[in-house]
Amino acid sequence: MNQFRLHHAQSKELESFPHILELALRKNTSIQLNSLSNSITETIRVYYILEGKFEWVINDRVYILYPGDLAIILPGQSLRGTQDFMDVGTLAWIHIQVERFDAQRKMILGRWSGLSENESQTIATILQLNKTNVLVNLKDAITLVQSIKQELVQQQIGYGTRVNHLIDELLILIARQSTHQTNLRRDFPQTFMKLEQALRQSLSHPWTVEEMAALVGLGTTAFSERVKGFTGFSPLNYLINIRISEAIKLLRRQQLSVTDIALETGFYSSQHFSTTFKKLTGYTPGEFRKRNN
Amino acid sequence: MECIITIELGTNAVRVFAFDIQGNVIGSMKGSYPTFHSEPDYSEQDPEQIFITMLYVLKNLLTEKIHPRKYQVHAICFTASMHSLLAIDDHGVPLGNMITWGDNRAKNEAQQLKGSAMGETLYHATGTPIHPMSPLVKIAWLKQNDSQRFARSAKFLSMKTYILQQLTGEYAIDYSLASATGLLNIHTLKWESNALDFAGITADRLPGLLSVFNSPGKLRKEYQTSLGVSPNTKIMIGSSDGCMATLGAGVWHEDKATVTIEDSGAVRVVGKQVLRDEKQRFFNYLLTENCYVSGGPTNNGGVIFDWFAKQFGDFSGLFDIERTMENLIQEASNVTAGSEGLLFLPYLLGERAPLWNANARGSYFGLNITHERKHFIRATIEGILYEVYSIGKMLQEYRTIDSLSLNGSFATIPFCTQLIADIFNKPVSTVANANSAGLGAFLLCATDMGIYSNLETAAKSVVIRETINPRKQDHAIYARYFQIFERLSVKLKEEFEDITNLQHL
Repeated sequence: MNQFRLHHAQSKELESFPHILELALRKNTSIQLNSLSNSITETIRVYYILEGKFEWVINDRVYILYPGDLAIILPGQSLRGTQDFMDVGTLAWIHIQVERFDAQRKMILGRWSGLSENESQTIATILQLNKTNVLVNLKDAITLVQSIKQELVQQQIGYGTRVNHLIDELLILIARQSTHQTNLRRDFPQTFMKLEQALRQSLSHPWTVEEMAALVGLGTTAFSERVKGFTGFSPLNYLINIRISEAIKLLRRQQLSVTDIALETGFYSSQHFSTTFKKLTGYTPGEFRKRNN
Repeated sequence: MECIITIELGTNAVRVFAFDIQGNVIGSMKGSYPTFHSEPDYSEQDPEQIFITMLYVLKNLLTEKIHPRKYQVHAICFTASMHSLLAIDDHGVPLGNMITWGDNRAKNEAQQLKGSAMGETLYHATGTPIHPMSPLVKIAWLKQNDSQRFARSAKFLSMKTYILQQLTGEYAIDYSLASATGLLNIHTLKWESNALDFAGITADRLPGLLSVFNSPGKLRKEYQTSLGVSPNTKIMIGSSDGCMATLGAGVWHEDKATVTIEDSGAVRVVGKQVLRDEKQRFFNYLLTENCYVSGGPTNNGGVIFDWFAKQFGDFSGLFDIERTMENLIQEASNVTAGSEGLLFLPYLLGERAPLWNANARGSYFGLNITHERKHFIRATIEGILYEVYSIGKMLQEYRTIDSLSLNGSFATIPFCTQLIADIFNKPVSTVANANSAGLGAFLLCATDMGIYSNLETAAKSVVIRETINPRKQDHAIYARYFQIFERLSVKLKEEFEDITNLQHL
């Protein structure tokens, strides 16, 4: 595989793709000091290892990467070599600019992407919550990177669409692999426990079934069936369960207002909270609080 | 038409059943809740989540299956898992999560007490083995290790007590569940003063005691409205899951035992007398005021086979865990009884009865070069069942048991059912209604309504699905291997200690 490097500031090929900052494949034959010191960027950085052994620190965690492994560094996450240099070996990478990426796990890729807002948000959720920066044995990724390069260089008819599709595909591949790697099909109870934790940690987040299913690496139909079988509830009803039980605890503590509790536990409004709460318990949140005072 | 609702607050889920007056199930639903392990040895659940889940499931069942068919709810009867502990402040607000039976944080307190003369006195007075599961020891732990929470605790409740208080406003516990707290004197039916002293509390910090047939009070008006049940619906306090599973398995006579194997397992007998065991190996819990359920629990039931399946099962196809287990059992059935000389000690979770040793560990023994994967599968199942048999054997020092009634998801797998018959060398029966705890609660209610004149008649009404007889030849093989199994389980005591110490480094 030949070395190449396309950079948005220098390469004509990237002129119509402002979101691709860099696409490269490099054989690193010698060690240069400070060639990989700590960096945090606002881009999504994807690296794929072809040869050699790389020792990196991603977001304060040490990883050793072998051929076939892929690393993804999200906007705001840090990357450095354990000794601040790039190890000897061959690797490919792509850096992608995103329009928006924030801690509420909103990710807007940009108009070039064919992913819907929901899908890209789900991918962002998965990548942030799973905390899997390194995916092992993801050979399909290098095929995609090479296809992107070929499209860019050959510029055949439709290449503008193809390039962007391939980037979407790469992100989807990474998200799926991330959920498969973190969730063993053999242990749904354990997988469910992790989902439960994620739900509790961000109870105010407007969770969708798609998002929850994606987080554990299942399709929505299979996911809903498994959850129903395991808990007796549909995913959304299970979520309401957790929301109401957390709300009860907050109501008892007498510190927050009913409206604050409603929003904190993920209801759209205090009205929505009151209706749901009363339907289930027979009390409005206010009555419940009074009774327990 | 009238119906009876039973609510079982289990270890992982609440199961709600609706029975018609003849005892037919006319609807059922479950809802599960998680167990949190925030630190090693900790095992907790969220009391509000359990309450909401229970309410949600109950409401769904009533709206979907009961009200449309115009049934009137005559009574709602509760059963719950034993040994749970929830501290509340003087406003009734929970102080932290509920501590489950599986919590081991009080192991040092338990060990110290167990070795003492006071431990022996308490064991015989309360019927509850001295073990970290016991609320007695848990309260003592709180006093010593979380003195602030202990001081702020106005009351110490069982999970069921909390749920019933939410529904009715009253704090109450039945004699049956109370007899599993380590705090109740099972002979005098009063809180045991030595136990209260050890826990460092007075009786006013515990809920009021009620007979299993009694009611803590009426359902609060708001719940009557939201659930759509009449003010006359009786809220029956009920009993514990273990006692109700025994009743629901149709066991009432002294010549019969129940074998329950779900994740964990137990062998139980019923009788008018306490089994007084100087080695402190049994529990003696009250079913009613003059009737005891005695036996021993094992930690290592179906959960061990789950473990095995997850580690060594074939998931290469799109198999889920259930399918994988079926395949494993199929493979195991191709090996002859005794697994051609491979033995398995199933103590992956330490063990309660009969060893009562939290440091016991698992082991495969007798491996030779001809053993294959399939031998491991069968040996694993046999090991789990030998352990259950060792509890049964110990009970037979006191009772003559002629037959067994099986329940629980693992014990009722046909392959396991036959093995239990063979290993015990006794006919075993399975009952038509697989959920014995729910059925037991129904029988309790039906007896209270006068449908049965007493619990003995009620137990006799339980329908047996099938009876399986032991195969003499296989029994002879198992009997020989069991002798080695039993010797190994006690012989390795020192090595269990040593390896556990290394594991805890």
